[in-house]
Amino acid sequence: MTGLLNKLLLVIVLTPFLIAADGGDAVRDERASLEAMRSSLRQKISSLKHEQDFLLFQKTMYAADSKYLIIDVKHHTAQLKYKNRLLKDMHFTPSKKFPGRGLRQGMLVLTEKVEGKKDRDTLVFGKSLVVQWKQSIVPPQEKGLPSITLLKKELLSVYYAVEEGAPAYLLR
Amino acid sequence: MTMTRRERQGDAEREMWSREDRLKTVTAEARRHGEGLKRGIREPWFWVSIALLLIIVPASHSSSWAGTASAPAPIEELRADVQALQQEAEQLKEENQGLRRILASQDDDELYIVVDTESNRLTLRQGNAVLHQAVCGTGSHQFIESETGTDWYFETPIGSFTVLGRERNPVWIRPDWSYVEENMPVPAEHDPDRLVRGVLGKYALLLGNGYKIHGTKWTSLLGTHFTHGCISLGDDDLELVYKSVKTGTKVYIY
Repeated sequence: MTGLLNKLLLVIVLTPFLIAADGGDAVRDERASLEAMRSSLRQKISSLKHEQDFLLFQKTMYAADSKYLIIDVKHHTAQLKYKNRLLKDMHFTPSKKFPGRGLRQGMLVLTEKVEGKKDRDTLVFGKSLVVQWKQSIVPPQEKGLPSITLLKKELLSVYYAVEEGAPAYLLR
Repeated sequence: MTMTRRERQGDAEREMWSREDRLKTVTAEARRHGEGLKRGIREPWFWVSIALLLIIVPASHSSSWAGTASAPAPIEELRADVQALQQEAEQLKEENQGLRRILASQDDDELYIVVDTESNRLTLRQGNAVLHQAVCGTGSHQFIESETGTDWYFETPIGSFTVLGRERNPVWIRPDWSYVEENMPVPAEHDPDRLVRGVLGKYALLLGNGYKIHGTKWTSLLGTHFTHGCISLGDDDLELVYKSVKTGTKVYIY
């Protein structure tokens, strides 16, 4: 009789916990799924914001009266554009430091056109990027920056096409 | 004071026996406790107290989770967070679609001409595609001055232009600089001697202010800066470009 009572008690005591344990698993599953969804959504939003930034840049440049560059890090290509027109497309060779950690997707501004002797010209985009050809003369303070190298003819075409203050957009 | 071998052995044996005794005592006590525990398990009060413990402890834990900062956010908060992020993503998606539509409305499938005055290349483009590329001649960057003090600088203008007209067998109206360059007297403005046929090739595209895309007799100079500001092409390239474009076609010179 006592044994039966003990078994009954054991069942009564354990029942709520078995039920609760089952409910706890469901909550944990939902939490894990929601957390995964939140992480994926955050990534998606970040990518959509990058996309929007580039679209807004294009929209602005379509209305502006300035030539600009689009530099595609992934495909090693650069485009010289004016409004919605493509004027020139080029391939470039990246330096070892390119693109580096500091060079993020977004707009850059041409801060300096360095005119070197014998056409050894260089384009400097702030403290972010240098556009050059093989024998360009890069000022010492910009030597450590990530750089891209174009063919001489292409660099010179771009050099004379853009003015200081001209924007470039870096796509990563 | 030195101990004999026998004495040392006797001490070790005594120590070993005393250890065994202690072990036995401990084991016996443990057995007693075990039996007590077994008896206790059989009692209902034991189970009642276990049940109370199991009810009280998790309940107190769950209430304390909500109050502590390091605890995970309540599931409702997580759900709301996900919902807000979903809405934000949707909104961004819509905005981007709108922006793409605006950009697409400004894109067209028109042909256009691009002239690179640095590398002396003329490119016929449609969107991102290159339809034709030709070597051309552009302004020489030379400077001349007349005896009367008028001066000219031979440079191809940079910027965005439109083909204002198309001509077959264009006639060149010799400008003043052409006479100054050859040390000849400059004739009157409408002097018929100024009209010269055949020097501009078979076709010309008019860009305004006297600037044209036309042919040349000096084909060996194509690819260099040799003109007085116009853009020169070889005969075949000129014909192809002339036949491809229409009045209104955009010309981008840089």
